[in-house]
Amino acid sequence: MSTSLIVLILIVIVLVLMYNSLVAKKNQVENIFASVDTVLKKRYDLIPNLVASVSKYMEHEKSLLQEVTKLRAEANKPNISDEHKIALDAKVSSALGSIMIAVENYPELKANENVMHLQHTLHEIEEQISAARRAYNQSVTDYNNAIEMVPTNFMASAMNYKRKQVFEIVESERKNVDVKELFN
Amino acid sequence: MKSVSELTDFYYKNLFPTLQKLEDDRRRLKQKIIFIAVIYTIISAILASFFINNLDIIIFIYIALGVIIYKFLVHDYTHEFKMSIIKPLIHAIDKTLLYSSKTHISEYIFNRSNLFSEPDRMSGNDYVKGNVEDINIQFSDIHAEKRNRNSKGKDSWSTIFKGLFIVAEFNKHFAGETVVLPDSAQSTFGDLIGNWLQSNNMARDELVKMDNPEFEKEFVVYSTNQIEARYILSHSLMKKLLVFKHKSKHPLHVSFIGSNIHMAVEYNKDLFEPAIFSSLLDYKVAMEYVKTLHLAISIVQELKLNQKLWSKR
Repeated sequence: MSTSLIVLILIVIVLVLMYNSLVAKKNQVENIFASVDTVLKKRYDLIPNLVASVSKYMEHEKSLLQEVTKLRAEANKPNISDEHKIALDAKVSSALGSIMIAVENYPELKANENVMHLQHTLHEIEEQISAARRAYNQSVTDYNNAIEMVPTNFMASAMNYKRKQVFEIVESERKNVDVKELFN
Repeated sequence: MKSVSELTDFYYKNLFPTLQKLEDDRRRLKQKIIFIAVIYTIISAILASFFINNLDIIIFIYIALGVIIYKFLVHDYTHEFKMSIIKPLIHAIDKTLLYSSKTHISEYIFNRSNLFSEPDRMSGNDYVKGNVEDINIQFSDIHAEKRNRNSKGKDSWSTIFKGLFIVAEFNKHFAGETVVLPDSAQSTFGDLIGNWLQSNNMARDELVKMDNPEFEKEFVVYSTNQIEARYILSHSLMKKLLVFKHKSKHPLHVSFIGSNIHMAVEYNKDLFEPAIFSSLLDYKVAMEYVKTLHLAISIVQELKLNQKLWSKR
């Protein structure tokens, strides 16, 4: 076998490996995003119950409840982009955080078993969302690294792969970190 | 739960009369062992001179018989030490804990942990079982070994794991399997090759890269589910495991399987055995018993296993 043929075969193998690793990374991002979507959906499903349970008590926070209902309706629209979903998630996290803080000001509401149960379930879902976000961010980082680093970046630009956005922590979650620490 | 310093106080104050008696026994036993060892060696040397052609067999018999004689000599003393020192120490930490000096964690649990390959022979002792702050916990000393057969058909045994093995209920629900191992590949071969080796480990599930650089440096995580691994290993748990690892100062293997946390702390020696050639009143000796026991039982508090997540209530 001539040297040039061996070199050609080697180049083809390297190209195939690069192509496959890029596709695998892109699929991993999509796969984990689907899981993020599932947990986000769980949270959206809880919102109507939460609003129904707290609305008659929380007269002063009506606008907050309306905001969270509006965000939910928006999130349930079909064909919204991943970037939009990420942005909506940040807004919902922030609104739910504010509602939970507001609940503290209503002693009757705080002691209500239904609300307590909702709070527990929401907390559990927040934990799952946080884990899913972290998994997504890691897969996006791997993917973004691959499309920006040499030599896979040449192949990625030929395949028209673009950078993907990561989830960012909402400001309110940063503030709440002490309460969360308790249950981790 | 009592702190290490409170337990050390307990060791010296409450157990002092027993310790003094045991210390006298230990001195006598030490002299007896040295005396018998000298006689035994002289007799063996005389016998060896008659069978000089089979020296390797003689040495083998000398060592094997020597170990048996030693174990026989220290047996009663060991038992008394464990019952009058280790048991009260465990009860000082928590009265409800059960202690058995002879049994160990079952082979089923050891294999279930998925931390090591299945052993061909397992031994152990100092089994503790109970309920600490509503959390089921059990631990013991474990020595797991693998049989290796050479080309001549001769057996030899190699150690898979020797140290402290702890199992406790975990505070979150999970369905998959997540394993946390000491990061030997990355520390030996560097980030690039180490990472490649880790991600191509056929014996393990998917590699999970964690978002805590310090944790990543110390450990490698494999899991059946990328999201669940992060659900279990929250930022705070990663920090707690790092603290636990630094406290124990020994390699740490952790797995989350079947709603339990399994922890294997590699000591490479038999723990909770009485000192024969150093004083029982020695501060270092006392601290080792106290620290190891405290480390095992404190995981409930250290890892906050008692603070169950809402769904587990």
